[in-house]
This record gives sequence, structure tokens and C-alpha cells, in this order.
Amino acid sequence: MTSISPLSNVVEKGLKGNHENKKEENLIKISEIKNLLIIQIVQYKSSTISIEDISIDNLNLKNEPLTVASNSNTRILWNGPKNWLLVSTKKNLIKNISEIFNENDFAITDLSHSRAIIELEGSEAIEVIKKGCPFNFNTLEKNNSINSTYNGITFTVDMISDNPCKIRLFALRSFGESLYHSITDASLEFGFKSS
Amino acid sequence: MLYIKCPYCGMRSQNEFAYGGDANVKRPELNEEVSDKIWDEFVYLRKSPRGKHIELWHHISGCRQWFKVQRDTTTHEIFRTAAINEDIK
Repeated sequence: MTSISPLSNVVEKGLKGNHENKKEENLIKISEIKNLLIIQIVQYKSSTISIEDISIDNLNLKNEPLTVASNSNTRILWNGPKNWLLVSTKKNLIKNISEIFNENDFAITDLSHSRAIIELEGSEAIEVIKKGCPFNFNTLEKNNSINSTYNGITFTVDMISDNPCKIRLFALRSFGESLYHSITDASLEFGFKSS
Repeated sequence: MLYIKCPYCGMRSQNEFAYGGDANVKRPELNEEVSDKIWDEFVYLRKSPRGKHIELWHHISGCRQWFKVQRDTTTHEIFRTAAINEDIK
């Protein structure tokens, strides 16, 4: 079955906003990321097993605010106490996850089709996020993630890289188009390349 | 705008939170006979103090945890926040 991407109706490829007389590499790059495996992992409050012994794709769960455990394929974002969001390009990881996590201790939910993902890249990307989000982004470093709001839309920010700045935004699929419009509106003054 | 220190995520804007009411309200004990008056007080009656007040807040756009906040209802100054299973004295 072919799946329709959450932003397929709104993404228009090309150069937008204040892009004239600017080099293309200096523009913000905005793109929709598709076909990722997104799994929510929640450890039940009654569970007593240690998460330090658990490894997925050679990554351990960390119960520390803001932290992201990552390798080239997979990122595990801290979402709340005993609550993580696993994002991976390895679609078959779901089989391993089902085997690793005991259903008496963990709730595993496949959210792959219920999130819209927007990736921003460029030196001004963080300025775009600051326009609509009240979080103090001066404190956010590489491999940090936060949950917050952007113009009232609840979203997750994953700082993949800080030099060059590369940020992934996750929102509920039904809010994806609104978030995309908000992000592209805020990017107009810098000029951006949509792809 | 208020800034509230979530016990789990740290200092965040009020935009990320939802107010959850008075944290001092105690539910009547389960499996015990409860008069209509006590039930009515539990469901409807709330104090509206001037000054320090302990409240429930929900970090609804963050870690989605409930926690307690001690706030001054006249100045909005926040003195302490604590996890839901901790006491604020």
C-alpha cells in the first residue's frame, strides 16, 4: 500500500521569500521527511526493570531531560519521564523492539503514520523557530530535544546538528499543514529553499 | 507571561501548561458512605485564597506530567514546584 505523506498537499518545491541576490547555500532549506519509523516507548509506572540493560540498535534509553541517544540511523528522544520517541530509518527495527520490550513493562505504539516531520537546515533555522516558540533556544545544544509549542501548535524539536544548524520538527499529522505554513511564513524574510 | 519550572523539564513558558485547579482538594475515601454535603463540597466548592496557594498544573505541551505549584494569587510569584507525589509545605 502506498502512503500519502502528511504534507503532500502543501509543499511547493522551489526558492521562496527573500532569496534574490543570495547564494543558494545561504538560504534555509525546508523539507518534509518521510518514511521514518516512529515508535513511542512508555515504561509503566509499576515497572521496576532497569532501562540501562536495554539496547536498541546499540543505543540505550536515557531517562534524562532533553537528551537524545543517536547513531547514523536511529535517534531516541526523551519525551518525558519513562517516555521516549524512537525515530529511525530502519523500518524493520519494529520487530526487534517488539521482542526487546516486555508488554508487561512497556507500552509500544507505532506512530509512523501519525506525525508530520519538517526538517530545517541553515544558519537562520533557529531564528525561524524562535519566532513562534517561547523556549530559550540559546540553551539547546546538539542532540537535545524539547517538546513545546509553535504558534499554539504542540511540537517536538530535535536538534540534529548545531553547525550547520539542522533541526527536525515533529507535529501531529493533522497539525502538520498548519505548522508547515507557520514555519514557511516565518522563513520568508530569510529566503528559503523548499524541497 | 509566567515562567513555570517543570520538575522534569526545567523553566518553561506558561504557554506550554494547563491549569488544573486547587491541589489541596482531597477525594472522599473509596468504599465509604459519603453524604451529599461532603460530595457536593468535593465536587463544587473551592476556596479562593488571596496569597499563597498550592495548585495543580499540567505540562500539556511538554512532558505531559501533572505537578504542584505554589503560587501567590495576587502577585503571581511562583515560590516552588514539586512532583505530584511530593509535598509542598
